[in-house]
Amino acid sequence: MSVKTLDTAYQVTPSRWSRRNLTVPIGLIAAVAVLWLWVSSLNLDSIEARVLNAEAVRRAVVDHILLAVSATLLVVAIAVPLGIMLTRRWAKPLVPVVMALANIGQAVPALGLLVLLALWFGIGFKIALIALVVTAVLPVLRNTVVGIQQVDQSLVEAARGMGMRASRILRLVELPLAVPVMLAGLRTTIVIAVGVATVATFVNAGGLGDIIVAGIKLQRTPVLITGGVLTAVIALGLDWLGGLAERLLRPKGV
Amino acid sequence: MSEHGVRIQLDRVTKQYPRQPEPAVDNVSLDIPAGELVVFVGPSGCGKTTTMKMINRLIEPTSGEITIGGENVLALEPNELRTRIGYVIQQIGLFPHMTVRDNIAVVPRLLGWDKARITRRVDELLELVGLDPSAFRDRLPKQLSGGQQQRVGVARALAADPPVMLMDEPFGATDPITRDKLQNEFLRLQKELRKTIIFVTHDFDEAVKLGDRIAVLAEQSHVAQYDTPGRILAAPANDYVEGFVGSAAAIKQLGLMHVGMLTGLAELSATSGLPTVRSRENARDALDIMLRAGTSHVVVLDEQGDPRGVIGFEDIAGLLREEVSRVGQDA
Repeated sequence: MSVKTLDTAYQVTPSRWSRRNLTVPIGLIAAVAVLWLWVSSLNLDSIEARVLNAEAVRRAVVDHILLAVSATLLVVAIAVPLGIMLTRRWAKPLVPVVMALANIGQAVPALGLLVLLALWFGIGFKIALIALVVTAVLPVLRNTVVGIQQVDQSLVEAARGMGMRASRILRLVELPLAVPVMLAGLRTTIVIAVGVATVATFVNAGGLGDIIVAGIKLQRTPVLITGGVLTAVIALGLDWLGGLAERLLRPKGV
Repeated sequence: MSEHGVRIQLDRVTKQYPRQPEPAVDNVSLDIPAGELVVFVGPSGCGKTTTMKMINRLIEPTSGEITIGGENVLALEPNELRTRIGYVIQQIGLFPHMTVRDNIAVVPRLLGWDKARITRRVDELLELVGLDPSAFRDRLPKQLSGGQQQRVGVARALAADPPVMLMDEPFGATDPITRDKLQNEFLRLQKELRKTIIFVTHDFDEAVKLGDRIAVLAEQSHVAQYDTPGRILAAPANDYVEGFVGSAAAIKQLGLMHVGMLTGLAELSATSGLPTVRSRENARDALDIMLRAGTSHVVVLDEQGDPRGVIGFEDIAGLLREEVSRVGQDA
């Protein structure tokens, strides 16, 4: 019963707070500024101008973030309790089954899944959300399980030996010590969610996929680049926030 | 301020794991007197730790009865039972994300003590184990040396003043010098506290040094001999115990005898140039001093540092012979 059965956890990268951490947001803002300057310097034709008007771009960005963040929150709400449950002794036989399912969820192409879901259940925000959750659930789930399992068993035994109940051991010992690994999984989930949210456009759920697909279909490079760059900026920005959370929530002494 | 130990009895205790041909612990009975430090010593895998863990029910016995202070352990709620038994493990098991104070406060918090009482108790315990409360209270375990961590581990086990302590190779992972120091401090502490302590180790010398009694355990936790260190050294019950005692049993025995115990110290005459030994030191130290100085006699000094008399090789050899014959008669 170990990390091995679950493959490896998504990497935990411990790093200390420093001024360097501001390079990422500054870089992202600069990238957006350059993009904006470049697009405004172009003579946009009528098609480009229609897709790249401020209001349309703003809505796509908001929808995209909304979709990715909702999916991430849902993943946390599902995967953290499920992961905790899987580390309880009685649930041991379930671990390979649930992990296999989550692995399939990540391995199945998101687009194919989305199309299947759309055929069965129709289109819209909810369907996109379900597809996103299925695709992005694995990192949080696996890292919750691995995070708790990697807690030094001698600590758990010391806690039991002092008369702590299982629920108290979970709350005061196992979870705090699993937090860094769990947050590393959360960051991976966020990045996957932001990336995969681009396919939401195929079920009419909005997002930057609208802009990217328009750019491809209409063969308008500025449109395509705008969608791509903004998606990357959101992914990196949310990942940076995740990294910030990792540093702030990491328990002292670990 | 502190509660003294209570008697622990193990009566035909057996642990049989499922799908194993032989029980891990087979029909063990031991009577551990109140306030004594009893060492379970035996090779790895002999079931000594399993036997100990059945007392706080980290492992449930398959059959048999265990009582602490007359109370049937198996009839108590396990977690409540464990708050009344101090527990120290080899890995120490300090919670890395909690300060020294929070580590020590684990059991008091479980018992619902108020904040002021916990604060007082934490400081008291830190002083007891020789750590300055104001300097150590708010440190994290990783900011402590191995020896300091072990002291905090002992303080944590003593937090709610349990009458009984279980210690599983608590000094096993420390270097020899630190271990020796921790052992001495621990003996001093136990002299004061008089808890009933079960101490598991595979190091026979540690058992001799610390134990009021030693239970030499063989496979399946069979009790090969259960007696005082002196008697086990002087009269091992069988080949197994003899093997465990190892070579130089007589030398080890000298370690248990204080120089001050020697009766009829020879008159002081022409003591100049002879090495000296304090009366509270043991006969082994005295012998060592003689061998190193290349003399056949050594001057014994009392607590004030005044000479009390002279002892020689013959006195020490005689002391040992007496002890062996005394034990022989008892047995």
